[in-house]
Amino acid sequence: MAPLTRRRCLAGLAATSLGVRGDPAHTAPPPRVACLEWTSAEMVISLGIGPVAVADSKGYRDWVAGPALPAGCLDLGSRGEPNLELLLELKPDLITGAYGYGLDEAPFRRIAPLHTVPFYDGTEAPYRQAENETLKLGSQLGREAEALRLVQETAAAISQIRAQFSGRADQPLAVVSMFDDRHVRVYGKGSLFQDVLDRLSLTNAWTAPTDSWGFSMLGIEELVAIGEARVISLDPIPPHVKIRIDQSSLWANLPCVKAGNVRTIPPVWPFGGLAAATRFATFLARA
Amino acid sequence: MTIMQSTAGHRARFKAGMLVALVGVPAVLAAYLTAAGLLRLLPADMWWQSLGATDFADPRQLLYRHAFLPRLAISLLAGAALGLTGTLLQQLLRNPLAEPTTIGTNAGATVALTIATLYAPWMLEQGREWVALAGGALSTLAVLALARGRSFSPVAIIISGLVVSLTCSSASALLMAANREYSEELFIWQSGSLIQNGDAVVLGFAPWLAMAGIAAFLLLRPLRLLDLSDEGAESLGTKPVVTRLAGMTVAVALSSMVVAAVGVISFVALAAPALVRLAGARTLRQRMIWAPLAGAMLLWLTDRLVQVLPFTSEIPAGVATAFLGAPLLFLLLPKLRTSPDRDGTMLASVRRRSGWAYLLLGLVAMALLLCAALVVGRGATGWHVASAAELADLQPLRAPRIVVAVCAGMMLGVVGTLMQRMTGNPMAAPEVLGISGGASLGILLLFVATSDVNRPAMIAAGLVGALVSLAMVSPAGRQQPLAPDRLLLSGVAVATMASAFSAVMLASGDPRLDTLIGWLSGSTYRATAADATIAAVAATALLAIVPLTSRWLEILPLGEAASRGLGLGLFRVRVVLLVLISVPTTIATLVIGPLSFVGLMAPHLARMLGLRRALPQLFASAMLGGMMLVSVDWAGRMLIFPWQIPAGLLAALVGGPYFMVLMWKGRQ
Repeated sequence: MAPLTRRRCLAGLAATSLGVRGDPAHTAPPPRVACLEWTSAEMVISLGIGPVAVADSKGYRDWVAGPALPAGCLDLGSRGEPNLELLLELKPDLITGAYGYGLDEAPFRRIAPLHTVPFYDGTEAPYRQAENETLKLGSQLGREAEALRLVQETAAAISQIRAQFSGRADQPLAVVSMFDDRHVRVYGKGSLFQDVLDRLSLTNAWTAPTDSWGFSMLGIEELVAIGEARVISLDPIPPHVKIRIDQSSLWANLPCVKAGNVRTIPPVWPFGGLAAATRFATFLARA
Repeated sequence: MTIMQSTAGHRARFKAGMLVALVGVPAVLAAYLTAAGLLRLLPADMWWQSLGATDFADPRQLLYRHAFLPRLAISLLAGAALGLTGTLLQQLLRNPLAEPTTIGTNAGATVALTIATLYAPWMLEQGREWVALAGGALSTLAVLALARGRSFSPVAIIISGLVVSLTCSSASALLMAANREYSEELFIWQSGSLIQNGDAVVLGFAPWLAMAGIAAFLLLRPLRLLDLSDEGAESLGTKPVVTRLAGMTVAVALSSMVVAAVGVISFVALAAPALVRLAGARTLRQRMIWAPLAGAMLLWLTDRLVQVLPFTSEIPAGVATAFLGAPLLFLLLPKLRTSPDRDGTMLASVRRRSGWAYLLLGLVAMALLLCAALVVGRGATGWHVASAAELADLQPLRAPRIVVAVCAGMMLGVVGTLMQRMTGNPMAAPEVLGISGGASLGILLLFVATSDVNRPAMIAAGLVGALVSLAMVSPAGRQQPLAPDRLLLSGVAVATMASAFSAVMLASGDPRLDTLIGWLSGSTYRATAADATIAAVAATALLAIVPLTSRWLEILPLGEAASRGLGLGLFRVRVVLLVLISVPTTIATLVIGPLSFVGLMAPHLARMLGLRRALPQLFASAMLGGMMLVSVDWAGRMLIFPWQIPAGLLAALVGGPYFMVLMWKGRQ
């Protein structure tokens, strides 16, 4: 992927300001896209195209939440096994998926062109990769201008939020997901959240090594290591887990909990793209 | 006289020494690791002081009081509970393989907790104990009810336990696959982590252990009489059935509590009693004292070891016990005395039929079924019978799945028949041999080792895993020329290791796991034309070769002595059969995942249809197995369209209860 050159920027800006709405490409019906998982679905929707079908659409509504799925978007079955016969029947113009799901690509390619988002393949930092992949997907879908605008708007939104933060004292924070009452998944190096924190000039309280997806699974007691740092906890947390966490004597006595520094934010897909980055930064500013 | 007494005294002292060493060595190691870990946390002079008056402002003391000590305590308590449970169950069932997993308790507790977590989380607000107990008790009751017609004979209980466990665990796997992102908690919990977040779990668990311990010792005398035959025990004034029920109640309650408190901890309940018996604890009383101690020390040591291992994410103790326990079992196998309880009349004896007419009928049914599976389907607008033109498009999607299903089913049916006839053990199934377990282990390791997982790599890794496990199983079994029971035990060890490893993978939260879950649950989704070809060739070859072994298969169930007497070269025969078992199992596992139920059920069904001679049973099992997998694969694609239920899960979910009904009807 070519980096963002000045020429591309100018072309994009020109396209935006000259009113792409009149572009004949947009009077044509939008491409029919089917998404095999949520990261590419998020990107497709962010580019202004409502996918005809998304795998595990209920899960998308709960765990990705935004940008919202369009009404009438079909469920493709599970993300592990998207329904091929339904895909065949829908005859999409493009199928999108993400790297690393271990799915054999051949059956999808027989149905429609397949665009895969090579996310978290270790070649680039997730945020940079999200930018590049958004642009790539944009050109694949004939939405170059929207893709460029999305890249710019995300950067702008993040720098605006960074300005909001600049007045406050830099208090380190840890981003966690809680799935049960004894363990947390904490996001660190190699995660999209880390990149966003860096862009916001915020310090991640969790500096220990993480796995290739940018997180570690820990016992809750290891949160002692972050002291009184702020804890940003991602929704959704199952209600019974919440209750049990509140009952835990260890949790209640953790320095960060005692200091009242735990905040819950709405769902953000940790493996998402630019929309997830904006959501995260926005919720962080409100937390 | 005095000389004899003194040698007896020496022997007793020697035995006591072994037992003390068995408990003491792990204890010393664990204590050393604990002290070392604690020193890093808190200076030694504060240990005692901080116990009573904890200063929560000091994070070190907080960790000491609410994480370190509870974790230490729960590892000891859970280990002791498992040691006691295992001893009780092994005594009750007269089976050295008995543990909470074998009698269906763990699977029942797990499925109950899975359902509650996903669909009725409010039930867990008061704690998991009651939900787990209800589930564990229900599944164990089902097992006992099924075995009741045979006065709870050990083999009947083990088989019922296996059937109920498979059904329950496929139900929970299915629920988790359908609620992928909500299952993270379940994955973590299932893998048996001892991490504590306060002392609530310990305080809740300790009274249960105390009550169970008291109850167990009150039952000591009647339990001891179970060593006699049931008639002998009755003549001494006890009722074996009552004893078993009472003992089971204690064991079920205790193991459900362990599951509720910390998840499934494998192998401790199996290993602790086996170890103390090997170390010389002969009487039940000795075993009931030493096995809980050994269990506590083993789990304590394991839990300390996982904390010093250098991994990014800590391995849960429940998984580690399986890894440590499985090799231990291999070491023990040559010494373990197995007493196979060949219960040939386990299943309803039906009028014997020659069966060739049945086979013809089966062939027609199978052809019809294959056509239906290919043509009938569902789409966005509803049910749909494909036209010839549409079939051209659909065929590349449907045909490989159908071919793979039917071939894998046929191979598993044949393999199951071979194994059950060869071992004389009605619970023998391809999975029990550990081949499918080994193949899944290979593929799981591939997932850990590389981020680029594709089909050829999966096949290669699976094949390597299967071959390695075959190599591991064979020497262990060969100590006494490939003795069937040892083979089964080795297989169980490999299978447990594989399932423990898949549990830790599932708990890691890697987003690629969807593929893995699909494969582990026996989905045909990834079947390619190449897979179909491989499976078809293998199934055809197997069906062509296997009639040549029919004479062996008639003779082998008669037992070793009879077989030798009839001039069978047992070693050669077993090696040939092993190859005929392992190669098709590997291929079936590679294309459709570690399915096991079909290989267990098809031979039984064939026998229930009255096909009891080797050759008709083989072919009937092949057809039944093939038809079973094709039907469940088709149903799995249709039932919750566009979602798909993996064929293996559905086979177990549908086949399990059906099997139970048959057992129930045939119990008179």
